[in-house]
Amino acid sequence: MRLQWKLTVASLKMFTRQKEAIIWTMLLPLFMVFLFGFVSFEGLGTVQIGVAGGKAEPAGGLVGRLGEVQTVRVTRGTESSELEQLKAGRRHLVLVLPEQFHAASGKELRVLVNDGTPEETQLGLLILRKVLDDETFRMHRAPGRVPMTLQSVASRRSSYIDFLLPGVLSLAIMQSGIFGVAFGFVALRKRGVLRRLSVTPMRPQDFIAAQVAMRLMVLLAQIVVLVGVGIVFFDLQFLGSLLDLFAMGLLGGAVFLAIGFFLAGIARTEDQVVPLANVVSLPMMLLSGVFFSRSNLPEPVRLVTEFFPLTYLADGMRSIVLEGSTLPTLWLQLAGLALWSIVSVWAAVKVFRWE
Amino acid sequence: MILAVDNLCKSYGDLVAVDRVSFSVRRQEIFGILGPNGAGKTSTLEMIETLRPIDSGTVTLDGLDVRRHPRQVQQRIGVQLQSTSFFEKLNLRELLLLLGELYGRVVDPLELLGDVDLQDRAKAQVEQLSGGQQQRFSVAAALVNDPLLIFLDEPTTGLDPQARRHLWGVIRRIRSEGKTVVLTTHYMEEAEELCDRVAIMDRGRIVADAPPQKLIGNLLASGFKKERVERLANLEDVFLHLTGHALQEE
Repeated sequence: MRLQWKLTVASLKMFTRQKEAIIWTMLLPLFMVFLFGFVSFEGLGTVQIGVAGGKAEPAGGLVGRLGEVQTVRVTRGTESSELEQLKAGRRHLVLVLPEQFHAASGKELRVLVNDGTPEETQLGLLILRKVLDDETFRMHRAPGRVPMTLQSVASRRSSYIDFLLPGVLSLAIMQSGIFGVAFGFVALRKRGVLRRLSVTPMRPQDFIAAQVAMRLMVLLAQIVVLVGVGIVFFDLQFLGSLLDLFAMGLLGGAVFLAIGFFLAGIARTEDQVVPLANVVSLPMMLLSGVFFSRSNLPEPVRLVTEFFPLTYLADGMRSIVLEGSTLPTLWLQLAGLALWSIVSVWAAVKVFRWE
Repeated sequence: MILAVDNLCKSYGDLVAVDRVSFSVRRQEIFGILGPNGAGKTSTLEMIETLRPIDSGTVTLDGLDVRRHPRQVQQRIGVQLQSTSFFEKLNLRELLLLLGELYGRVVDPLELLGDVDLQDRAKAQVEQLSGGQQQRFSVAAALVNDPLLIFLDEPTTGLDPQARRHLWGVIRRIRSEGKTVVLTTHYMEEAEELCDRVAIMDRGRIVADAPPQKLIGNLLASGFKKERVERLANLEDVFLHLTGHALQEE
C-alpha cells in the first residue's frame, strides 16, 4: 500500500506541474461553460406535450394529429405522472382529456401550462389551438371552438446553464480519462520510462493502480471546481448530493480510464493516439446530449446514443444536479456504466502492452 | 564469482544477435564488454538484467538463476539503460526517492547525488542537466537499491572527453565502495583505462576475454608491431591541458 500511495503522490505532483494538464482538465471545461453559458442556445427546440386521460378517444383524433406536427413530441401518461414531468421542466404542456373527448364533443379540455418556458408554451398552445380548430372544422364543416381552461403550473426554473454544466462536467471526465491516460501512457512507453521501471521489482499493476488513483482524484477535483463555479457564477440550482455526484463520476471515470488504457494498448506512438481518441470521443461529445438535448435527434440516432457511456454519465449527472435524484433512482445509468466498465476493462487488459 | 554467463543465445528472426556467449565477472571488478554497434552487447546485457527473454543458456547472478528468480535478481542489480529517460516534472531528489520506493527503500537522495557529484542539482529536473550530468544521474538512479552489481550500457557514448573522464572517476569510486560494475563501450581507450577485464565482442560472439594489458601483451608477444610510432601526446591531451582539469564539471 505504501508503494501505491507514494506512486500516486508522485503522479499527482507530475500531473499538477504540467500546465497543459491543468488547462485541459479544468480551464477548458470552464471555458466551455462560460462560452455556451453566455451565448443563449436555448432557442426553440421541440415542444414537449404530455397527454393524460381520454383513453377512449377515437383513433386519428387529437393526439394523433398533434403527434404529426414536426416540432411536437407527445408523451402519454397519467395526470399525476405528467404533472411531475411538467414540474421537472420536461413538459411544456400537459393536456388532461375528459372521457370520450373529441373536438366536437363540447367537453372542456384542461391544459396544464409550464410557467418557466414561455416560448415553447406559447408555441405549443398555438399549435394545439390550430389542431383543435382543424378537427372541429373537419367534423362540422363549420368553425367552432373547443372550450379550454389553462392552468399555470410553476415549474422549476431551468436555464440552459443548468442543463449544460452537468453535461460539460461529464465531457471533462471523459476527455481527461481518454486523452490523459492514452496520451500519457504511450508517451511514457515511447520515452522508455516504463522500460526503466521494468528493471525494478515494481509490478506493472502497482503503477497502473497509482495512475488510476491519481486520475480519479483529479476527477473529484473537476467535479468540485465545475459545480462550485456553476453555483457561484451561474446561479446553478444544485439540488442533489455531492456524494452521489462523486459516485456517479467515479463510475463514469472508470469507464473512460479503461478506454484510455485500451487506446494506449493499440496505439504505438503519440501520433496514433490522438486520431484514435477522437474517433471514440467525438461522436459522444456531439451526440450524448452534452450541449443539446438528445430529444432533438432523429429517432434512430437517438436510440443508438441511448447506449453511449457518455449518455449514461451525462444523464445521471444532470439528474443528480437538476432534480436531486439519488443513486437508487438512477439504476439505469449506473447499470449502463457498470456494464461499460466491465467491457472496457476487459478490452484494455486484452490489448495491454507495457513495452 | 558474482556473475556467470554460460552459452547465452538470442536471435531475432534470422539474425543471431548473441551467439553462445560465456563469461564471468568477479566481485568488485570493472568488467567491460567492448565491441562495435550491433555486436550484441546490449542484447547480452538486457538478458542478464531480466529485460529480455533468454533464448537459451544460463545466467547466474549472486548464485541465482536469472530466469527462475527475476525478482530477487532485480533487487540485487542496478541498471542504466542506453537511452534512459525518467518521469518529467519531478526533480532529481524526488526521482531518487520514488525509485527507492520501488525497491521498498527510503533512500538518502543527497548522498546518492553526492556519489555522482550532483549534490548541488537536487532541485533540478533531468531535462535541465547537461549530457554528462544526465548520465551521472542515471548512474545514481542505478544505485538506489544499494546493488551488488551495476550495469552501465554505453555510459559515455556521446559525451565530450571531460565528461567522459568525470564519469570514469565516478565509476571507479563506485567500485571502491565494494560494488561490481559491468559496462559496455565502443571506445578502445575507455576499455583500456577503466576496465580491469575486457571481453571483446563481435557479431554476437566473444572473441577475447582478459585484462586489457594482457591482451596487448599477448598481441605484442605474437610479434605484432604498430606501423606508426605512437605520439607522446594527442589532441585530447592538448584539449585537456588547455581547458583545465579533467575531473572538473563540464
